[in-house]
Amino acid sequence: MDTTSRLETRSTSAFISRLFHKDSSLGYILLGPAFVFLAVMMAYPFVYAVYLSFTDKQIGAPATFTGLENYSKLLSTSLFSKTVVNSFVYTAFALILKFCGGLTLATMLNRQFIGQRVVKAMLLLPWIMPTVFSTMIWSWIFHPTFSIVNEVLVNKLGLLAQPIPFLRDERWAMASLIFVNVWRGVPFFGITFLAAIQSVNTEIIEASKIDGASRWASFWRITFPAILPVVIIVMLISTIGTLGDFDLPFLLTHGGPNDATTLFSLTAYTLSMSSGFIGLGAAVTMTMFPLLILLVIASLISVRKQQQD
Amino acid sequence: MNTARFARNVRRSVPFYLLLGAVIVIFLFPFYWGLITSLKFEVDIYDFSGNFLVPKRPSLENYATLFKTPRYFIWFWNTLFVSTVTTVASVIVSVMAGFAIARLRFRGAALAGTLVFITYLAPKNFLFVPLAQILKDWGLLGGLPALMVTYPTNLIPFCTWLLSGYFANVPREPEECAMVDGASRVGAIVRITLPMALPGIITAAIFSFTASWNELLYSIAFVSGDQNKMLTNGVIGAFAGGDYFSWGPLMAAATISSLPVAMLYLLFTDRFVSGITSGATKG
Repeated sequence: MDTTSRLETRSTSAFISRLFHKDSSLGYILLGPAFVFLAVMMAYPFVYAVYLSFTDKQIGAPATFTGLENYSKLLSTSLFSKTVVNSFVYTAFALILKFCGGLTLATMLNRQFIGQRVVKAMLLLPWIMPTVFSTMIWSWIFHPTFSIVNEVLVNKLGLLAQPIPFLRDERWAMASLIFVNVWRGVPFFGITFLAAIQSVNTEIIEASKIDGASRWASFWRITFPAILPVVIIVMLISTIGTLGDFDLPFLLTHGGPNDATTLFSLTAYTLSMSSGFIGLGAAVTMTMFPLLILLVIASLISVRKQQQD
Repeated sequence: MNTARFARNVRRSVPFYLLLGAVIVIFLFPFYWGLITSLKFEVDIYDFSGNFLVPKRPSLENYATLFKTPRYFIWFWNTLFVSTVTTVASVIVSVMAGFAIARLRFRGAALAGTLVFITYLAPKNFLFVPLAQILKDWGLLGGLPALMVTYPTNLIPFCTWLLSGYFANVPREPEECAMVDGASRVGAIVRITLPMALPGIITAAIFSFTASWNELLYSIAFVSGDQNKMLTNGVIGAFAGGDYFSWGPLMAAATISSLPVAMLYLLFTDRFVSGITSGATKG
């Protein structure tokens, strides 16, 4: 090997090690894979979804541009208006109940009691369990004729004269769906709220108790305002997840009875995958978008605030 | 006097323990009900006479039925394979990106952090319609690679966000000392900083693995053919298809499929909770 090429290799390796040494170049190198992946698999599909929503694309057929036709079609169908109403009812009730349940669970776990560690670990199970399988257990518990809940309430205890039509009645089906979502979500809310409560300065709470404040008052005046930023972030993130929920309505109610429990993702799935109207399905997901932007902006603001404190 | 105080404490705690008991029953009864249903013969499943909380003739028949399902083990391997590949890939990419966002100073670092957070917030089911088209354009629709390239869309944003929070709290001095002692930048990061961030990396890996293990929509929408199914849609298709549900094998599948995930979490609960909450409270 002659000297020039040896010099060249040395300078290339020096160049590479400089590249990996400087913050600026190393930063771009390390971010590269994530950035390329998210651009190809999230940004591009998003633009593609916008495009598809303006076409009459069907499975196995070429797409032609049809402007806003999909959106006007959606607005005139009862399936879509039901989807919007269902999604709002589902999200609003589930979030309120997860908030109340999570706060109750957190204050309970904040006490010292026998077997606390085991109970804490076990109560996380509903959140940890694969949704698909825990939902199968719930559809067995809500079985039209062999529901164990109805068996206990009607036959064993005699509290009810008629069995509850959990998944067959439109309102009961929505209530059951919300219940399972809350059952799954409360452990996560509880554990997150608990961690926030335990990081609150206990001296102030003790001082307020000495000053004669009741437990209730000191919780709402001192602890709750202190954990509010965490509560808001968890609620916002959960709102987005609940609004986009697919697994629960797909498995538990199939969106029925009479489309009473179909949500955005399931309607989009039914229209695009089952019926083949891909443009229409894309339009359904796009209608979620304005609301999502608002929720994302709210989350960004609250995280920013939290980081500044 | 001490005994009097003790008695008073006990009396005061009674409502608390009653409430705690009720909470435990509501949250855990479904698992118990699933488990004992899985241990019953088909005829006993619908028989609630006597003490319905204990199976009258416990049997493992439903588990045998499940394992004899022609493709059960293929679905199991598919799930294990896809979950492992996506977890390893997502965690490596996220460690790199999370480190860059949290520790390096360069133009656009803050913007990158915000963009990652936004992609994390996007609901995971939001993009399946265009993704199906894109996979079809690329000729990937139908097989397992379709899942391997799409699962990370849900994993990388969360893991990057979680890990950047972790890296921000790992002290910088050890890495700088190693470099003073002659280690290269990358060597110092890999040998000094990464081991210190290991709890965060493990949390990200557990999250990724279980999220892939539990995924449903993509495996229904992007994969075709019985031999390409995952455990989730495979079991549902085999036992919950159409009007007839085989509750015994379904409950057996629910119990068996949840075990690995539950074990993983019980081993790492504390670590996981602190990881999740630091992820939820820090950016």
